[in-house]
Amino acid sequence: MKAFRGQPSIYEKSDSTPRRAELEIRGLTLHFGGVKVLSDIDMSVRSGELFAVIGPNGAGKTSLLNCITGFYRPQQGTILFNGEGIAHLHPHELVRVGIGRTFQNIELFPGMTVLSNLFLARHTHCDYGLGPACLFLPSVRREEMRHRRILEEIIDFLEIHALRNKPVGSLPYGMMKRVELGRALALEPALLVLDEPFAGMNLEEKEDMVRFLLELNRAWGQTMILVEHDMAIVMSIAQRIAVLNFGDKLTEGTPDEIIRHPEVIRAYLGDEETI
Amino acid sequence: MDADKEIPVGSFSGTLPQLLLAQAARFGSEQAAIREKAYGIWQTYHWEDYLRYVKHVGLGLIALGFRRGESAGLITDNHPEWLFAELGTQAVGGITLNLFTSAVADELKTSLNRLRASFVFAQDQEQVDKMIASRAGLGHVRHVIYIDPTGMRSYKKDPWLISFRELLEKGEKLDQQRPDLFTAELRQGRPEDTALLIQTSGTTGMPKMAMLSHRNLTAMGESWVRAISIRPGENWISISPPAWIVDQMWGLGVALQGGMTMNFPETPETVQEDFREIGPSRIITASRFWEELASRIRVRMADAGFLKRFLFAQAERVGLSVADRQVRGKTITPALKFLHRLAALIVYRPLLDRIGCANFLSAYTGGHPISPDVITFFRAIGLNLKQCYGLTEAGGIFQIQPDEEVKLETVGKPLPGVQVRIAEDQEVLVSSRAVFQGYHQDYQATEAAFVDGWLRTGDAGYLDHDGHLLIIGRKEEIIRTKSGEAFSPDFIETRLKFSPFIKEAVIFGEGRPCLTAMINIDFGNTGNWAEQKMIPYTTYLDLSQQRAVEDLILAEIRKVNEPLPEVMKIHKFILLYKLLDADEDELTRTGKVRRRFVYGLYLRLIEAMYSGEEEVRVKGKIRYRDGQTGEIDTCVRVIQAL
Repeated sequence: MKAFRGQPSIYEKSDSTPRRAELEIRGLTLHFGGVKVLSDIDMSVRSGELFAVIGPNGAGKTSLLNCITGFYRPQQGTILFNGEGIAHLHPHELVRVGIGRTFQNIELFPGMTVLSNLFLARHTHCDYGLGPACLFLPSVRREEMRHRRILEEIIDFLEIHALRNKPVGSLPYGMMKRVELGRALALEPALLVLDEPFAGMNLEEKEDMVRFLLELNRAWGQTMILVEHDMAIVMSIAQRIAVLNFGDKLTEGTPDEIIRHPEVIRAYLGDEETI
Repeated sequence: MDADKEIPVGSFSGTLPQLLLAQAARFGSEQAAIREKAYGIWQTYHWEDYLRYVKHVGLGLIALGFRRGESAGLITDNHPEWLFAELGTQAVGGITLNLFTSAVADELKTSLNRLRASFVFAQDQEQVDKMIASRAGLGHVRHVIYIDPTGMRSYKKDPWLISFRELLEKGEKLDQQRPDLFTAELRQGRPEDTALLIQTSGTTGMPKMAMLSHRNLTAMGESWVRAISIRPGENWISISPPAWIVDQMWGLGVALQGGMTMNFPETPETVQEDFREIGPSRIITASRFWEELASRIRVRMADAGFLKRFLFAQAERVGLSVADRQVRGKTITPALKFLHRLAALIVYRPLLDRIGCANFLSAYTGGHPISPDVITFFRAIGLNLKQCYGLTEAGGIFQIQPDEEVKLETVGKPLPGVQVRIAEDQEVLVSSRAVFQGYHQDYQATEAAFVDGWLRTGDAGYLDHDGHLLIIGRKEEIIRTKSGEAFSPDFIETRLKFSPFIKEAVIFGEGRPCLTAMINIDFGNTGNWAEQKMIPYTTYLDLSQQRAVEDLILAEIRKVNEPLPEVMKIHKFILLYKLLDADEDELTRTGKVRRRFVYGLYLRLIEAMYSGEEEVRVKGKIRYRDGQTGEIDTCVRVIQAL
């Protein structure tokens, strides 16, 4: 019955007291050869927060996310997650630490079904050995059923029942984004990192996505960092916002503070004289 | 009859919840009463579970202060909670009214006000938001009970809102404190009490609320079980909205009486897949369902490879000639019989299995006249599709075609216990135990609905020499042209809509010299056709005004015109630049055209067809689904069809 659904069991324990996800970035600097991408960035995200990073094109937003999720190695600075240095870790190790992400340009396996794509995210949570798996012992079977149930709860939450057995490559763009969010959730991350979750979506798809993110964050205490261009959405859902411009952090604050900040206005609208 | 030994038909006199009690005692935890697909698998509720949930809903309502004789509104989708809520309310002496989840806040408010509902069951956040929006006008609603908890976290502090889960818990607690309370409440119900109200779709004016008693529904269930020998455990799939008579009549009447299993698909989008997994044995749906299915099969076949196309064409030919001989009562030669068996093996069975129709013992189409071509098509591929006829006021469907006597143009014979006769003005009259009690708070309309104790159906028809009923059309919709010749617009529209390229058609001609038509093209099929012809287009508006599309529709209209008598031929037509929409009151919620409303709205275009203009400039506002409005400025051409 629908009356007994609505909250995936992976969030049951937390019940809006967030899982610990304290991110601390100090003096982060990244350059590719002579090009400085990020210089001396300080930033922190608290447990249960929905933190947004905004900035014009080429400001270094995605590079910042790539540093956090282990795709880039910063030359200087430290990244602490729950007090532990993580700048040297590989992406798959970061998943174990509790950081899951989605990508700006969808990184799913187009030839596989939605369900198979989601199952991939569960392999870090499998703890049976090769032998029992080959024999498909009852313990393995139970474990697989547990994973399937978790995935089905995510499917139910994201309202993608009808897509379950469709190959990802055949889906519309907005739906692929939703599936990618589903895969990130299936990792059971403490910190969810979203790179432009609303890009390329129509109004209805955006509304749905906002609904999902708000439910995740406000009701179940999922900590999130998101990079996004749609200012209206960011301003209405984020609790704190950091603004990047050409690799520098301009400012950080609540949506109200950000919208009135002269530097932000200049970075987005240009100088008054040039208008 | 054999079936009488197994099914206690005719032996039951009580309320619907009392019937549930009896069936739960009979089937217990052996038989599935309800199945719902959730988390990708079918979850089963046995008859005992069914009774338990109904009990907990009923007692939960009492715990919240519900009193006998009060009423509840249900704005739910097809899920088990709908049945639990409805029977639970009725079990403690309440009256229910189901409303469409697609209705806007104002519509819901008006209906709930007329009912003076003290409780509302709302499907999800969307429906709760509608209730909150009109809260000031809903003073009589003491609580809104929401089913789906998704997104409801931030509403938790509002004591007006209660979750379905909490309701069940309250009911369970009360049951532990006072274990005899439910049975005592159940016993107080009498079969002649009003069980539920159903809003009639109302193609004209404000919708009326028909009151149906427990006896109406049990009588209807009995007639069906008897007429088509329904056995316990047969499958019904619930896909038509609960606010509609069909699923009310079946879910509460027939399924309860016959011990059938009600199956609920996961979501509206997964119906096709879920339908196939269940393979229902009985189905009644609107003719539109069959028309869309037929056109989908045809489109898919057209895209198939050479071999499949060839086999399908041959098999259809064999099927058509067999169906034709059956209808005419001619004998079928052994050679044809052999070919028919072969075709069934190679083509029909796999095809029917693919669309989930392989297990049908009987399938019915109703609600609206269906084109004989569609029925013939399905009968040719071995699906026992038959016509039926009924109306909300008569407690549901009361006319069906018997198995051995299928006639394409009729709606068959009355169910056992139902009497039908034709009045002098050709109106069809009906009398049975299932005929409704009257309209809620509308004495005048109730008086007008009956003549000498017979219910007036409002349809014109006649009985043929075998006693089969033939429906011509709505009595008030039989229209006369300027020269006084009668025609039925519906009759022509139905035939137009069999074209895969025509989504909707409206015929005009009352008091005019000739007939004209306004056509809505089918965006999907016409779009595909345009793509194949390499015709570029952008929106619906753009596609509908393409010259090539006009020619395409012209050819379709000429095809329909050909066999029609002279007075019923379409002289001119236009392609409308937008789809007729229920949100703009152009269609009823069940998808019927509001003819007079549409006539008034597009009078300028219609006048142009009669005044001999060749082009009409249209400027106006259109409303998009998301509530935004846009300007349109286009030229609509008047096209000659004769």
